[in-house]
Formats: sequence, structure tokens, C-alpha cells
Amino acid sequence: MEERHFIPESGGDQEPSQEAVEVENRREVRLQPGAEEKLVLQFMDSLNSYLSLSHSLSSTLGQAWMELASARHSMGTARINTSLLDLKFHPASTTLKITEYDDAKAWFVLRKWVSSEEDEDSNSTKSSELADDDDVVVRRERAKSLSVFGILIPPKLRAAQLSFERALETLVEMANMRSSFLYSFHQLHQEVEDTKE
Amino acid sequence: MANRAQIPTKNSALIAMIADEDTVVGFLLAGVGNIDIRRKTNYLIVDSKTTVKQIEDAFKEFTTREDIAIVLISQYVANMIRFLVDSYNKPVPAILEIPSKDHPYDPAHDSVLSRVKYLFSAESVASGRR
Repeated sequence: MEERHFIPESGGDQEPSQEAVEVENRREVRLQPGAEEKLVLQFMDSLNSYLSLSHSLSSTLGQAWMELASARHSMGTARINTSLLDLKFHPASTTLKITEYDDAKAWFVLRKWVSSEEDEDSNSTKSSELADDDDVVVRRERAKSLSVFGILIPPKLRAAQLSFERALETLVEMANMRSSFLYSFHQLHQEVEDTKE
Repeated sequence: MANRAQIPTKNSALIAMIADEDTVVGFLLAGVGNIDIRRKTNYLIVDSKTTVKQIEDAFKEFTTREDIAIVLISQYVANMIRFLVDSYNKPVPAILEIPSKDHPYDPAHDSVLSRVKYLFSAESVASGRR
């Protein structure tokens, strides 16, 4: 482990100031051998992933909009628009779980088609019977979401729904990459600022 | 580590949207729409009649609500309130700028990418660290 020693700039008998102690503590925590290179690699990797995912998202969304336009063409414009949305109490079926990862990064996990009756903390291993129940819940929640736009749903609208679900998955990955490269960026930025002092 | 941002851990957080009608409808199909008892939604549909003030108010609301984890905003809408988006720097909710049908995504305008771009600027390279 690299050792750092604080040498006060004036008055050999004086206690180091609080600010100087904090600066030294930051240096001791941060400048481990290889840590800076690891941070740079992490930053570059997550930034590269973020940019790749953004391209993928553009492609997925393009397909989704096309499918939505096709559905609107077959059903009619009045059948697929936001005027059909009512303002009755309605919890989201697709939500996110946020955890803290690696001491300062937010990590997002997509939870798709969670029924309002489902136990949020159920992490136990599932039997095939319970897995079938999950499929039933997912199909039911998907159908409920589509039912806003009528009973007879064209295949293109179902396809659009699946495309937007894929876009959501990509977006959650992008959020995690964003969290990762911002964390690395702040660490590196802090080191640059401390080096200038 | 000093001044560490607090990450609020949550089991069931929402995705908010500030985007055009087709994008919002699509993501509502994917199940992210939420309307609470006070009839407050987690989305704002932006059209030709939406004012910049409405967009600003929605952005401020979504970024201060504790039940929202990600805010999706069409990049062309984000450009209307760029100063507000660029000044946002909390880890949660995460702000993601997305393309729209008529306005493709441009990484050069992305707020978070602009923020980290400086690491590759001549100024940082010539800072004399090495």
C-alpha cells in the first residue's frame, strides 16, 4: 500500500489544519497503485457502452414508432391517442428497483409487469408452477395495458408494445452505464483538482 | 469519501417521461404509466401547445419527487430547457435524453456527455499532471 506523509508547510509545532487533514485523507484513500488506471478504464468502458446503447435505442425506438404508426393506420387515429387515457388511479406495472452499488453508484433493475398483488420482496427460488403463474401475470398485465385502446388489438400494436419494452430494457442499461461513468468521472475529476492544489 | 451523494434505495420506483405523444403512448403500452390518488401522472406529453414553463415545471417536479428513478426526456424538449437540464447533477433520478421521431439523438447535445467531455479537452491534458 502506498504511504503518504503529511508535512506541514509552516510552524513545526502546529497541528495540521482540518482542511489539510481532509485533503490528505482523500489522497490516502484514492491514490492506490493501479487504481487510477482502473478508474480510467472503467470510465472509458462505461462511456463506450452508453454510446453503443444509445445507438441501439435509436434503432429500437425507430422500429417501435413504425409499428405504432402501422397500428394507428389500421385502427384509425382516433383509436390510438392520449385522449383515451383517463385520470383514474392507476399504479405502474413496470417499475424500477434502485440499489446502491460499489459504495456510491446507483444501480437500476427493471421490474416488468409486476402485478399490484405481487410480494415485492419475493426472491425465493421458483417452482415451474410459480414460473407459469408469472407468465400468466405478465400476459394479464400486458393485455390490461393494451385494453386502453380497445378490445380488438391488431398485431402491430402488440408488436409496438414489445418494442417499447425492449427500449425500456436498453434505457435501464443506459442509466446504469451513466451511473458508472459519472462515478468514475467524479473520482478522476477529484484527483485532477487535488493534483492542481 | 467526503461529500458522497446519498443513493436512495427503493424497491418500486417510477420512470417519468417528458416527450411527444407517440413516445409517451408507446411507453405507457409498456406499463410505465402511473396515476396517483391525487390524479398526478408521471408523464408530460409535449405538443405544439405546450409552453416552456410547463416543461420546466414538469422537469422540476419529476426531479424532486422521491418515487421517480429515471426521467426520460426527448432531446429536442431538453434543448428547450437546456440550462435547467445541464444544471442538474444528482445521481437519482437519472436523466436520459432520448431521440424522437423527428429529431434524432445527438451525443454532442447530451447534457451528461458534455459534462465529461472536458476530460479530453486540451486544458486537462496540458494540466501538467504527467
